[in-house]
Amino acid sequence: MTTIHDIATHAFDVVIAGSGAAGMRAAIAAHDAGCKVALLAKGPPRANHTRMSGGRYNAVSGQNPADSTDAFYRDTVDSGCQINNHPLTRVLANEAMDRAWDLESYGLAWDREGDRKYMLSMTGGGSFVRTIGSVDEGIGITEVMLHQLYKRRIPVLAFHMLVETIQADDGSVVGALALDMATGTWRHFACGAVIIATGGTSQLYETSSGPAINTGDGIAIALRAGAELVDIEFMQFIPISFVYPPSARGYTLTEPAHYGMRHFDPKAEAAHLINNKGERFVLKHDPVRKEGSTRDVLARAIMLEILEGRGTPEGGVLMVPDPRVFDSFLKERPIYVKRILENYGEAQARLQAPIQVMPSALYTLGGVRIDPWCRTRVPGLFVGGEAAGGVHGANRLGGSSMPDIQVFGRRSGMAAAEYVKSRARALAPTAGARGGALAAAHARVMALEAPLRNTDGVRPPDLKRQIQKLMWDHVGLVRSGEKLTSTLAAFDEMREQVLPRLKVTSPVRILNREWMEAIELENLLDIGRAMVTASLMRKETRGAHYRTDFPDLDPNWTANVLVRKEGQAMRVERSAVVTEASSTPTSTPAPAPEPALENA
Amino acid sequence: MTDKNITVTAEIRRFSPGQDDAPRYDSFEVNGLDNMRVLDVIRSVYANQAGDLAFQFACRIGRCGTCAVKVNGVPVLACQERCVPHMRIEPLTPFPVIRDLVIDRTEIEARYTDLAIVPAEPAADAEYPLPMPPAVAEKIGHLDSCLACMICVSACPAVDERPFDGPAFMLKLRYMDQHPNNGTDRLPDALEGGLLECFGCDACTQLCPADLSPAQSIRELRRGMVLGGRSGT
Repeated sequence: MTTIHDIATHAFDVVIAGSGAAGMRAAIAAHDAGCKVALLAKGPPRANHTRMSGGRYNAVSGQNPADSTDAFYRDTVDSGCQINNHPLTRVLANEAMDRAWDLESYGLAWDREGDRKYMLSMTGGGSFVRTIGSVDEGIGITEVMLHQLYKRRIPVLAFHMLVETIQADDGSVVGALALDMATGTWRHFACGAVIIATGGTSQLYETSSGPAINTGDGIAIALRAGAELVDIEFMQFIPISFVYPPSARGYTLTEPAHYGMRHFDPKAEAAHLINNKGERFVLKHDPVRKEGSTRDVLARAIMLEILEGRGTPEGGVLMVPDPRVFDSFLKERPIYVKRILENYGEAQARLQAPIQVMPSALYTLGGVRIDPWCRTRVPGLFVGGEAAGGVHGANRLGGSSMPDIQVFGRRSGMAAAEYVKSRARALAPTAGARGGALAAAHARVMALEAPLRNTDGVRPPDLKRQIQKLMWDHVGLVRSGEKLTSTLAAFDEMREQVLPRLKVTSPVRILNREWMEAIELENLLDIGRAMVTASLMRKETRGAHYRTDFPDLDPNWTANVLVRKEGQAMRVERSAVVTEASSTPTSTPAPAPEPALENA
Repeated sequence: MTDKNITVTAEIRRFSPGQDDAPRYDSFEVNGLDNMRVLDVIRSVYANQAGDLAFQFACRIGRCGTCAVKVNGVPVLACQERCVPHMRIEPLTPFPVIRDLVIDRTEIEARYTDLAIVPAEPAADAEYPLPMPPAVAEKIGHLDSCLACMICVSACPAVDERPFDGPAFMLKLRYMDQHPNNGTDRLPDALEGGLLECFGCDACTQLCPADLSPAQSIRELRRGMVLGGRSGT
């Protein structure tokens, strides 16, 4: 049995959870602001979602004279169906290019047409040619960043899973509790601030594009610490992903715009999507933008065809690419060409034959509610990247996650550093307070070790599969009040009846995957319950949220849903959209103390 | 699309340092589609037969490079490698094992840290885009798509026998050497890392899951050394 003395204690100024670009950018910013920083990676350093991305990056480079940061801002808010947190969106539009240049200074080689001219392209939903990219995609972005961390000697602690924040009596975060899975050791990181950059929760779904470790841990941990979630009912599904083989099912193929001339010209067509009757079914849903429409529209259109029996036997539809884009596709995206070749065949890889595609859970649009400096309502707790909500609203433009995680990763690091410095002047924790924090950590440890002790019960992978099926069937692309209600009841029962009975095959402490999954399951269930509760409240259809019982957009619902956890109950509240005119977010107490950082 | 099923036998190396006296091989039969990958087999074993199996994967699409294992003695990415009827699956050598199929990458990352794979910091008033010919951007982009999966290091006979860090590290040094903003002579690090120890067998290039050629990078670094100064082309 783990005693309080078995918990190793470490001290840092800022502890960051998450090894993707948001976490790494936060680490660089906090370090460069003078803080002693540690970064917790749940797996090896390269096991993150950024690395899996195509790396397309929306930013206003100044090379398309028709484009502007205003236009990028408007495209993002239009795509988000007006419920974005507008100041966050403004920050994204304003700072995306500066952060792309940071990456260039780290060594990333953006694709070029000339020595000083980027190659620009389109993504679905955008109205101007503005997207940059690099041939090494998300791999290159994560590589150049990781080596910047190494240059700064920032410890990247592999196999360290954040399991909970440690809070002082006043609620402020004063530490992080992590499980070092490589040794089976619990670690208490005493620190001035915690930054959550753990990404999204695509693993809630049966078919998903992200890495297996994206179980939304940080979102759930922030929720339990007292932070609010915003827009958590919105889950982005990538419209097109691999249908087979099993190992690749759900991995993103990006958007039909990439496989047609629309990639270069907003007036040209994206690749066509057809059902098993040969019909271009997207025309029913968006006759104007057609297959160049936003991701929410396309994903739902495809899913409805599949559900209504007009899909392929394997459960997809067909995308007919335009072979004229092959040469540039091969040049820009050689990794995709290779995967299509291996998984489907040469004709498909040459864009000469239809490619089978299906929607897949990709990106958690909602998340922890933050202000423009990534502060939550919990002092000392900062959130950046996919784990945060509000930047993209009800739908995200292709190519906008990459700038988001850079822009807000950096801001979270700067704000946390500023907070730690001001806090250190105001309050040094007493020995008593440290002891209290450690006792709280130990109580949590004992609860989290229950699956190692239980001799009878349910294996974590079995419960995970049940949750993923329920989410895919009822809380995915097509939702209804009836199904949401029954799913919530099922989740409540799982939380009460099954979670306490989780057991692992072996009590081995080192790299015990079942134990890790048991810890993840509490996070998945917390977020699943929050998603269902928020989805029930939003009685309309908007962006990625489609209710068959409320199939139309309701202008009265141009508002956000906030979720807070009180005890085991999820409290939902409707909240006015934060516009650029409204100064501080409503219903959120101003986080203390105010860093000396300009807003937006 | 295949609908044929196959049954494969997977002998998986099991070892918990500190707990087991010696490694052992557990044998499992797995049935699945004949286009399934080695990772599908490993995940099936975990899901249905050995819940205590330690293995690593994240992306399952050949990008994170963390699922590399040896199958019948050959290092491969488990997520990309098609199954054969009989497979002996082992952790990647010559690295220390944390448990079962998972290696400890601490020394690998420390080596990358020592090599400082970063360009010179641009001047504060540098104008972006930094000047870079499109063909150079494309070339260094390709070189930087190395997965750091360590398959080439595992396959390299010179690493086995001689003081050689391995092809992956040489490729990274060549990548920096080609980078217009490099700012550091990379040859001393390459020489210290064993640039001259490579046999030129090309095993690294044959097995690279990112279709890169570490062997070519080694040849280019050597050519630069012979011709003097930085390696130019």
